[in-house]
Amino acid sequence: MAPLSSINCHSYSYSSSLFSSSSSSINGQQFQRINFSSSGIPKRLLPAKVFSQSRKNSYPDVVLMQDGAVAIPVNPLENETSFKKVKDGLLSSITSAKELKETAGFDMNKNESTVSITVVGASGDLAKKKIFPALFALYYEDCLPKHFTVFGYARSKMTDAELRNMVSKTLTCRIDKRENCSEKMDQFLKRCFYHSGQYDSQENFTELDKKLKEHEGGRLSNRLFYLSIPPNIFIDAVKCASTSASSANGWTRVIVEKPFGRDSESSAALTKSLKQYLDEEQIFRIDHYLGKELVENLSVLRFSNLIFEPLWSRQYIRNVQLIFSEDFGTEGRGGYFDHYGIIRDIMQNHLLQILALFAMETPVSLDAEDIRNEKVKVLRSMRPIRLEDVVIGQYKSHIKGGITYPAYTDDKTVPKDSLTPTFAAAALFIDNARWDGVPFLMKAGKALHNKRAEIRVQFRHVPGNLYNRNFGTDLDRGTNELVIRVQPDEAIYLKINNKVPGLGMRLDHSNLNLHYAARYSKEIPDAYERLLLDAIEGERRLFIRSDELDAAWSLFTPVLKELEEKKIIPEYYPYGSRGPVGAHYLAARYNVRWGDLGIEQ
Amino acid sequence: MPRKYGLSTWVSHIHSKTRGRKHFLLDSSNEHPLNAFSLQDGLAGNPLAKERIEPPGKERPSIPMSEAEKEESTLSITVVGASGDLANKKIFPALFALFYEDCLPENFTVFGFARTKLTDEELRNMISKTLTCRIDKRENCDDKMDQFLKRCFYQAGQYNSEESFLELDEKLKEKEAGKLSNRLFYLSIPPNIFVDVVGCASHRASSTNGWTTVIVEKPFGRDSESSGELTRCLKQYLTEDQIFRIDHYLGKELVENLSVLRFSNLVFEPLWSRNYIRNVQLIFSEDFGTEGRGGYFDNYGIIRDIMQNHLLQILALFAMETPVSLEAEDIRNEKVKVLRSMKPLKLEDVIVGQYKGHGKGGKSYPAYTDDPTVPKDSLTPTFAAAALFINNARWDGIPFLMKAGKALHVKRAEIRVQFRHVPGNLYKRNFGTDLDKATNELVLRVQPDEAIYLKINNKVPGLGMRLDRSDLNLLYRARYPKEIPDAYERLLLDAIEGERRLFIRSDELDAAWALFTPLLRELEEKKIFPELYPYGSRGPVGAHYLAAKHNVRWGDLSGEIYE
Repeated sequence: MAPLSSINCHSYSYSSSLFSSSSSSINGQQFQRINFSSSGIPKRLLPAKVFSQSRKNSYPDVVLMQDGAVAIPVNPLENETSFKKVKDGLLSSITSAKELKETAGFDMNKNESTVSITVVGASGDLAKKKIFPALFALYYEDCLPKHFTVFGYARSKMTDAELRNMVSKTLTCRIDKRENCSEKMDQFLKRCFYHSGQYDSQENFTELDKKLKEHEGGRLSNRLFYLSIPPNIFIDAVKCASTSASSANGWTRVIVEKPFGRDSESSAALTKSLKQYLDEEQIFRIDHYLGKELVENLSVLRFSNLIFEPLWSRQYIRNVQLIFSEDFGTEGRGGYFDHYGIIRDIMQNHLLQILALFAMETPVSLDAEDIRNEKVKVLRSMRPIRLEDVVIGQYKSHIKGGITYPAYTDDKTVPKDSLTPTFAAAALFIDNARWDGVPFLMKAGKALHNKRAEIRVQFRHVPGNLYNRNFGTDLDRGTNELVIRVQPDEAIYLKINNKVPGLGMRLDHSNLNLHYAARYSKEIPDAYERLLLDAIEGERRLFIRSDELDAAWSLFTPVLKELEEKKIIPEYYPYGSRGPVGAHYLAARYNVRWGDLGIEQ
Repeated sequence: MPRKYGLSTWVSHIHSKTRGRKHFLLDSSNEHPLNAFSLQDGLAGNPLAKERIEPPGKERPSIPMSEAEKEESTLSITVVGASGDLANKKIFPALFALFYEDCLPENFTVFGFARTKLTDEELRNMISKTLTCRIDKRENCDDKMDQFLKRCFYQAGQYNSEESFLELDEKLKEKEAGKLSNRLFYLSIPPNIFVDVVGCASHRASSTNGWTTVIVEKPFGRDSESSGELTRCLKQYLTEDQIFRIDHYLGKELVENLSVLRFSNLVFEPLWSRNYIRNVQLIFSEDFGTEGRGGYFDNYGIIRDIMQNHLLQILALFAMETPVSLEAEDIRNEKVKVLRSMKPLKLEDVIVGQYKGHGKGGKSYPAYTDDPTVPKDSLTPTFAAAALFINNARWDGIPFLMKAGKALHVKRAEIRVQFRHVPGNLYKRNFGTDLDKATNELVLRVQPDEAIYLKINNKVPGLGMRLDRSDLNLLYRARYPKEIPDAYERLLLDAIEGERRLFIRSDELDAAWALFTPLLRELEEKKIFPELYPYGSRGPVGAHYLAAKHNVRWGDLSGEIYE
């Protein structure tokens, strides 16, 4: 087994070379498989070659699934039937992909392949704070391929040196491995370049293409574009990148960030436009919550522990709570947010994705398509949310300890009469055999009293509990609860009843817990690192497929429309408070008590 | 919140049912229980009453009990064998701790009884050396100690002399001063004089108007016959209700908690059967040998000393069906059922061992047979491992493994529950070929350093998908900084209150002996030679082969011991 430092990253060496012809040593491949099995890599390999066909042309509506796989020249969104066919095609292509992998050339000289990562919108906030640092962390951890180039692309005029200077300010080394940090940083920065251009200019992208080719030096070229730009220029940038800067012989992939539209229609339109220039397989819709450590761990907990499996259904689970809170408001950056609101910003994507992962049936395998198929099934089993199952709120100003905290509408970038919710709570239901009748409660808000993201699973009470009287009359106080705290301070704990040590028989809720900081001293990688690496490796388990996106929007679009049409006034809550009390009444209606606002917190 | 609310509920109920006395209720020095008691008494007819907390006085006892009556009751605790080791190390300190915690009734007297001539003063002096105050409540310690010692008296006498017990009775009466008298005798004496003492105490020193109970300690015989004989003799003088057979393991905090875990947590209930549990391990080890006190032990051996009682009792509690209620008789009924569903042990399912001398770090540790009180050719096992099976619907085919030994590398008592592997595990590849390495395990560590932990698989944080077994844990020391009471405190208090949930009923004892007697006999008749293991080692390797035969791997020797 590989040493820990690099254990995570190995698959690169061949995932980048898989696209090649189907001649080669099966033995070598198998050997690799065994080697990597303990680090879970094999599944990573699989999707890599779904993409690996050379896209020599980028004709808008030819969906080339992959070498030899069914090609269906139909726009998948046009009708469902053809879309299904695409999916079927995709599945069958995976089978053949497997075969391909077995026979893919491993003895190919890996020096001949290269990855170019172009960050479009390089001068933006996300790029500086997350993308470049994540790339550097991957480099530091030896997770990037031997030959790679990072390009910044934006409208600002900048030299390579200026970009490097800008990037270097945000790079940090892992706490646990400080040696060679500045050396590594220099090496990394030497691979960073800048190209200035307009987002809608074919010409500028052609220039970029030239520069990329120069750095690729005739190697097999794989290209990843990270679109860190506002949604209104998505399509232009995709169009230019795809037509003028696609790889001629390797893969070309594009990572896009939310928002993916603001309702079913706009999202579908966006997908449709993207698909004029890209295949579904080239689009990596990022939801960085799916890259969080504990969200990744959710499936491991469920599927690799016998003790959880029997409990994972309506028979034992009373309700599930998905909670997200931030302890700050928009702070002068409300322009974007005001157009979307908390439901679109957090619930429809992050929380709903976690819900789907939580509630899905056991997938056939851990392959991306299998997992995403199950997630779609869950989403499609859900009822669209009704207005009465939603509570919205907006924070108002609040004075505490002499400090005045602003109201949402005090934000200069927000209209004074904005009704945009900064808080929302909703009750969702999954109408399938496993979850019928179990409320899934979501709650998300800004400017609350703490910063937290967690999943709380409340179990039913013990039927015929012998210890009834020890709990007083409220049996619900005695139920078990599993809490997965995604951030901050990652932890898993299971609230159990046990006896308070002593001569009497007093029961107590205590926690069986796993506190990550205590158990794992190593720093937990940022979600962006994992997701970037996955995109480079073609692992799309944690990215959102377009049918998932459609299903997610169809749950939320009716209620969003109704909220806006009826101009529902949000319930105001003070900045820094626990949010509007309406959330409690919503919970009470479904016989739920929010686990995060109990006395014991 | 009165500490003993829940408990006293059962207590009162039990009393009223089994003892048929309505005036047993103790006047307590505790500030709360008065209300609780009277309230509970009122509820006694309805043990399922949910409304525990009602304003005092709202509901009066159905059988009236005046304040005066309560104040007139008194409790006398006579420790027979007061000069012995157990009395000094455990019983007196436990009584003092109960006094310190205000758990004893207001009027109580402690009498020491033994053959040695001692004055009251000498007894007090002797006792005072072993008393300690709780770590977390040091105030008034000396005060409290003095108050306690003033209530301690001594009576010298022969164990088989009715006359001596008559003298004791007179002294007791004097202290009781005409109040309603309840008497508890704690027999801390060798088994051969049990019956004599019980006869004398019962004839000459029983309470005339209150209750009289007797606590007896193991050994309860050495096989079915001798145990049956002992029970028969005791019952000449006492009713079953008066006999409190103590098994101090049942008073351990985590053993008490076992039922709470099972029955008050939904997450465990579905798992508690052969469908999910692969095996259960009950492990006891001591890191010292007989150290010159092997005389008693050599006659019994580790199987009788630890397995047949402590471990088997824990097993029964673990495996029993849900009782109708938490009342003593309901729980003991279920325990008996489990014991009676078990097959008697077969010789091939048992491994016996005996420690031999061992030199380590320049120090040499003696063999068992080096103990001067042990015959040189003794075959008495100081270690044993056994596989037991319960032939009922819940546990059919599940091995319950027991292991107990002296002079091992650690001192520990724990229950380990190994779950089955996940069928069709998606993460199979991440575990290599040995699926069993990836199973969940629930561990209840009874001593030392009480803890509950559940081994789960989770992802190692990082970019890859490496799985790891880590623990969801509850370390008592961290969560409950208060000192955990000694098992004897709990058991003495229960005996005083007539709560017999943690004491062993005679049919339980019979069932327990029935399981072990054939095996013990065979071991002795065939003179099975124990496998020798070095003092301070992990015990004979035979235990591993026994486990392997039943497809089990000992959880405590797997190299990932929880620190």
